[in-house]
Amino acid sequence: MRCPLLRQPVGFKLQLLTTAAIAAFTPSSCFGNQREAVYDQKEDCRVPRTYEAVYIFDSTLEDAAISDKIKRFHGLLAAKEQPEVAHWGRRQLAYSIGAKDNGYYVVSKFATEPASLPEYERALKLDDGVIRYLITLHEHEVGAPPQSEEDLAAATRRDDDDDDED
Amino acid sequence: MRRPTKSCPFCESRVRWVDYKDDRTLGRFITDQGKILPSRLSGVCARHQRQLATAIKRARFLALIPYIRGHQA
Repeated sequence: MRCPLLRQPVGFKLQLLTTAAIAAFTPSSCFGNQREAVYDQKEDCRVPRTYEAVYIFDSTLEDAAISDKIKRFHGLLAAKEQPEVAHWGRRQLAYSIGAKDNGYYVVSKFATEPASLPEYERALKLDDGVIRYLITLHEHEVGAPPQSEEDLAAATRRDDDDDDED
Repeated sequence: MRRPTKSCPFCESRVRWVDYKDDRTLGRFITDQGKILPSRLSGVCARHQRQLATAIKRARFLALIPYIRGHQA
């Protein structure tokens, strides 16, 4: 049992507790967090992971203002390494978003703890200069070796087998 | 009757992961309307078709490729 009261000897407990103190210990405070010891989900949030973010800024903003904004966003991440930033520049959008037909695209890659993401995402959401943004996990692309000859041959053979079954 | 085998264009070019930012490549796998092309027409393998579908949906959200081609708002 997790309730600290029950670990004490019974006589000791009766000595100390007044009726008011008993009322303060509701059943929820005694038995509410029984699952805590089983799995701590917060532990997972402390492992750094690689993310890729694409921002679409308002194309009417000046380049210096966009760089300042990016610096501010990345400051919220508390990443150990400097994020890689690639400026695609002004592009026409495939469809208009609101009244805007053009956007300034910026792609950045960074490694950070998942726990720091909500604050960063909130800043992006509230910024009027950001038309749209997308944050994706980038881990699978790191260190993935190109397919070897054998892999390719095996894949082709498997495809052939599938076709035979049809 | 055996169908002629089509080889996956991604496997042929040794692509491990389909990139959602590469709108020129993704543009080859959508129809004139902007729908995702089925793998039975394009010959893409199952693994890459799954990646391709996700990549196209991400690219649409980022306005790199249209949801509907020729649509006037």
